[in-house]
Amino acid sequence: MRYGLVDLGREIVGGGRDRTSEDLRPGEFFAVKDASFQVRAGECVGLLGPNGAGKSTMLKMINGLILPNAGCITINGNVGAMIELGTGFNPVLSGRENIYINAAVLGLGKKEVDRCMESIVEFAELAHVIDEPVKTYSSGMKMRLGFSIGANLRPQLLLIDEVLAVGDVAFRMKCFAHLRELVKSGISIILVTHAVSMLNRVANRAIVFGDGNIIHDGDLETGCTVYEETMGASDRVKHAADPEPATKARIIKAEVVDESGELCKEFQTGETVRVKVTLTATESLDRMNLFAALCSPVHGRVAAVSTASHEIDFSIRKDKTVCVTLIFEKIPLLLGAFHFNISLYGPTSLDFYHRASGIGNFRIVGPPIRSDGRGIEGITKLPYRWTIED
Amino acid sequence: MWADTWNGRELAWRLFLRNIRGLYRQTLLGLFWAFLPPVANTAIWIFLREQGVFNIGDMQVNETLYILTGMILWQAFGDSIQMPLNVLNKNRNMLSKLRFSREALLLVGLGEIVFDLLVRALLLALAMAWFGVAPSIAALGAVATVVMMIALGSTLGILLMPLGSLYQDVGRLLAMVVPFWMILTPIIYPTPTAFPGTLLNWINPASPFLILSRDLLLMGQSDMWLPAIVWGLITIPLAAFGLIIFRISIPVLVERMNT
Repeated sequence: MRYGLVDLGREIVGGGRDRTSEDLRPGEFFAVKDASFQVRAGECVGLLGPNGAGKSTMLKMINGLILPNAGCITINGNVGAMIELGTGFNPVLSGRENIYINAAVLGLGKKEVDRCMESIVEFAELAHVIDEPVKTYSSGMKMRLGFSIGANLRPQLLLIDEVLAVGDVAFRMKCFAHLRELVKSGISIILVTHAVSMLNRVANRAIVFGDGNIIHDGDLETGCTVYEETMGASDRVKHAADPEPATKARIIKAEVVDESGELCKEFQTGETVRVKVTLTATESLDRMNLFAALCSPVHGRVAAVSTASHEIDFSIRKDKTVCVTLIFEKIPLLLGAFHFNISLYGPTSLDFYHRASGIGNFRIVGPPIRSDGRGIEGITKLPYRWTIED
Repeated sequence: MWADTWNGRELAWRLFLRNIRGLYRQTLLGLFWAFLPPVANTAIWIFLREQGVFNIGDMQVNETLYILTGMILWQAFGDSIQMPLNVLNKNRNMLSKLRFSREALLLVGLGEIVFDLLVRALLLALAMAWFGVAPSIAALGAVATVVMMIALGSTLGILLMPLGSLYQDVGRLLAMVVPFWMILTPIIYPTPTAFPGTLLNWINPASPFLILSRDLLLMGQSDMWLPAIVWGLITIPLAAFGLIIFRISIPVLVERMNT
């Protein structure tokens, strides 16, 4: 708050704070730094990143709500924003009255609203209740109405923040179709979301933020996996469940390598993935077992395997290391980032020695999946076939 | 700035309608709630005077009408001071997430003050008719002085708003100070004609416009022209300065709004 007062004083008296200064005051940090990108007409870009990575700050800067300390943002054309659907709604007023209010907040005039009132009501599928107070609507209905009003925006650049989880599946599909139409007509969209699985329905490029920096700017598939990996590699995943390592035996590292034994982070569906787990012990131990859970930051645990299930075990000699390799031939995973939570046991599951979470990170970066019902999607590629009978 | 204010007029109108409709649709007694505060305050002070709890000289006009007029005008002035901080706090979510004419929020706040004042003016007109007091042509001048009074109150509120947004103490202090300020303004007692009361008429920003407006409405003449003109000359540049402060401070305040 004190900084706020100082900044206010500087803005008023001194014409503003030295915004190019690199000096941060105690407790301050750069929410976004060295982040440069360009969005062309008719491009839909997904901004991804964990909470606090700088996505919303970037969106606020693009929207002109806050100013960057350094650098500049140039926009050719006007900007519209679908952020927080239904902003300005008054629950006591009818849906119709609230359309005028929300539209005015978004920058639409009365004449424009009059012209597209019927299409807004129709798009929201709320014709039967449009003259009822909004307080009688469910949250999904309010979201639908909010989206339908925003759908009439026709700016050169449309900013969308976390509003894709709107309504039921059928309505969501309609929203995606509408956004695709906007993109086709040459409108650029910048989309902030955590719903990675929905992104490929509309976006054709991903920018991933991590700690205020851009860590990926390019194709959507890789962007989604980089994002998932960021989530998987986060300290939250790594340390949340890990107890202190036991003194007798522990997991040193887990490296992912390809068929030729080279360290590798990126694979295609169907390739061979090998995970080399290095272990050590302070005394000689026999009949040791490993348990490995293959996890996705988005979907949780995908699969779990163990040496015990194959009825094999191994020994670790005192102060030596041993490398146990887990091999997935023709891995059936689809696009995404994955990691392992690995536990080291003795002869029984009561003889627990060590657990390491969020290790052995790798990504499946291809082939592309399709979410339009005309390809494969999900997390695994199952062997299947179709038969058709008359 | 002026262009943004102009462009924000439709938004301001929509938000104004939203607030007024929303407010009155949720009440059974509707506009009665706009009448109630000045009526209740007037009734209390009349009762206290009747009981002899305090008696500070004789008023030149019907004392009920005198106090009621003062209360209605004071209500508008008090609301004006608190309006900028109130609209900022009520619309934090919108301010921190959407880009729109920020000045529209001030227009909404001013619209609500004027709306309440007009409703109360209706009450005053009924009271004047009841007591047989006919306004002279000079009463039309009160329109301008009331506008200046609201402008001055809002400007003071705008100047306090940046600090009030950062420190809640300002809002709390305002809520505490405004009733005391009312006592320092000649609303429940006649306008002082001797020192130091006359000095207070000059230095209390609420007094010149309020006294002049009331005098013009009820008596058609006043001795407060000079202080009102001086405060008018102060108010106009101060209001322009306040709007500049408002515009400069909003982005800094939005940076600190984490809603």
